[in-house]
Amino acid sequence: MNLKKLLMKDSILPELKADTKKGVIEEMVSGMAFAGKLTGKTAAIQAVLAREEKMSTGMQNGIAIPHGKTNAVDQLVVAVGIHPGGVDFDSMDGKPAHIFIMTLSPENRAGPHIQFLAEISKVLSRPGLRERLLSAANADEILNLLTT
Amino acid sequence: MNPSAHAAETATVIAQTVQQTASANSHTELMTLLVLQLAFIIICARLGGFLFQRFLKLPSVLGELVAGMIIGPYALGAKLPLPGIGPLFATQTIGLPVSSELYAIATIASIILLFLSGLATDLRVFMRYSVIGFLVGLGGLLVSFVLGDFCAIWFGMAPSFMDPAALFLGTISTATSVGITARILTEKHKMSSPEGVTILAGAVIDDVLGIIVLAVVVGMTKVIHAGGTMNWGHVGIVALKALGFWIICTALGLLLARQLTGVLKRFGSPEVIVSISLGLALMLAGVSEMAGLAMIIGAYIMGLSLSRTDVVQELQNSLQGVYDMFVPVFFCVMGMMVDFSAMRKALLFGLVYSLLAIFAKIAGCGIPAYLTKFNFRGALRIGLGMLPRGEVALIVAGIGLSTQCIGQDLFGVAILMTMITTLMAPPLLVKSFHGPAGLRHSVPEAEEKEEVFSVEFASPDIADFLMQRLVRAFQHEEFFVNRLQMEAESYQVRKDDISFTLSREGGQIHVSVPPDQQHIARFMIYEELLSLSDLLEASKNMKSLNAMGSELIGNLF
Repeated sequence: MNLKKLLMKDSILPELKADTKKGVIEEMVSGMAFAGKLTGKTAAIQAVLAREEKMSTGMQNGIAIPHGKTNAVDQLVVAVGIHPGGVDFDSMDGKPAHIFIMTLSPENRAGPHIQFLAEISKVLSRPGLRERLLSAANADEILNLLTT
Repeated sequence: MNPSAHAAETATVIAQTVQQTASANSHTELMTLLVLQLAFIIICARLGGFLFQRFLKLPSVLGELVAGMIIGPYALGAKLPLPGIGPLFATQTIGLPVSSELYAIATIASIILLFLSGLATDLRVFMRYSVIGFLVGLGGLLVSFVLGDFCAIWFGMAPSFMDPAALFLGTISTATSVGITARILTEKHKMSSPEGVTILAGAVIDDVLGIIVLAVVVGMTKVIHAGGTMNWGHVGIVALKALGFWIICTALGLLLARQLTGVLKRFGSPEVIVSISLGLALMLAGVSEMAGLAMIIGAYIMGLSLSRTDVVQELQNSLQGVYDMFVPVFFCVMGMMVDFSAMRKALLFGLVYSLLAIFAKIAGCGIPAYLTKFNFRGALRIGLGMLPRGEVALIVAGIGLSTQCIGQDLFGVAILMTMITTLMAPPLLVKSFHGPAGLRHSVPEAEEKEEVFSVEFASPDIADFLMQRLVRAFQHEEFFVNRLQMEAESYQVRKDDISFTLSREGGQIHVSVPPDQQHIARFMIYEELLSLSDLLEASKNMKSLNAMGSELIGNLF
């Protein structure tokens, strides 16, 4: 899967400000909306929160992959956020989350949506990458780290 | 217009009309005969195959061949009259013993057969055991070819080694049909044994080299038939041309297959993918023939090219029905072409040729196996596993007959050899696998690259339900999911380089997946588990069962 095609610089937020789970989700969805990738911000936030209600997408080692299905997008949309200080995201290992990969996919359209999450998770499991992402200075550097 | 000119024109128009009507009538008659012949062939081939398999415990292909021999023009076929048409299978006075129309259908069947053989080629196994497989395949091929060719000279069937008849008899003897061996090894759970994988890798090499040999031989015989003479310089040119065609087409095929299937997948329809792929196989078969090689070479290359793509299972499954319908027709038509009176004259030659074909594979494949890592028992197993000849031998024999490189007698000999080797291989192979290991020293098992993880559910029904949802979810993610022909409910999931297996046993779902592909498998199951819990939650909001029951059934009594 070609991550370069899906990861865009304008949807990378190198320094998230929010300090709650809901706040991070809202900030990232706003970032997507600002980049012109959404038609309805509220519906998108609700879709991600609904998925979080079922089970948190906070994984291990500071990684979270919030995602949802909504008709506010007409294709797979991705945003990447970094929170150097960390946010409580109800993660599996109880640790705060620092690296957020958010995806939104249309409700009834087939496509490699979960596959993208799996691929990006595989990339994030590379040793040393998480540290380099946390110390990345800007969106270009983050994009470069995730796609090379 | 004067009256005489008018009369002449009318007469011309009437003559043309009469001619057209006669031609239409003869076409209708021809098609009627073809349809009836085909009906008879399909039914008899299927019944023959069934009877051999069910009651004689023999491979169905033998039944199909025998059915063809019985109903062919040299046996009952010539004696079965059709009212107003004549015998069902009349002996043809020129060319092949069967009609061109029937031979055309058999040719299409052989293209389908070789396309599917190419698709079923496991290049990964071949790469893993490439060295020993190469030695085993090459050894079997060389010894078979040389003995087959010399046998023709010894019996005076051909004047020299380079004579087309001798070359064809050498080529017919080379091609192993590993399908029968694979079925036996699977039944005996020996497919993944060192002998099993060596046979499979050897068979891939045998196929590839055999097809190249065929390409060279067909090329050479075409030169000879065109009035040219063959010296070693010509052989070199023909071999280079054949190898060049093979290498360029295979390399291009393997390089471009992903891009090709990528474009085809954009149609979003498995039917379009299958139809266009088959169309391309036929096209490359035609191009191969135009390049002076045999049609099956192009079909095999197309199959081989697509064998590493994610649509391979889809193609195999979808074409299975076409294969089941056409391939027995091919074997039956091959059986029909056996002229018993011509064959009788060459019977002794046929028996010696068959014995040499058996010896050639046991020695040619067994010796390289013995010289590398197998003991005598292991080497014998490998030699016996490579023994059966089948479809390719028959196709080559058919090409030889149609190009008049071999006569009816040698065609019959080829059928006899195919039948003897196919008959002998299963019992000998089963017997040879009794007893201790076939390796000379205990060699550590091949590194198993896949890992298995399992998820357990409260009941088999829940596991079954989730399995169906998983299949749909993977399809939704644009994966190709195909049910495997195994006892347990198993599916192969493929997309580009990703390939793993899902299987369900009772309340457990097992996933057998390479370590670097675990993420997608685990994520999908995880997401489906969540949707299952949603579903269970939603079921709590349903109306009471009593109310639903009375709505559904209440008014029936």
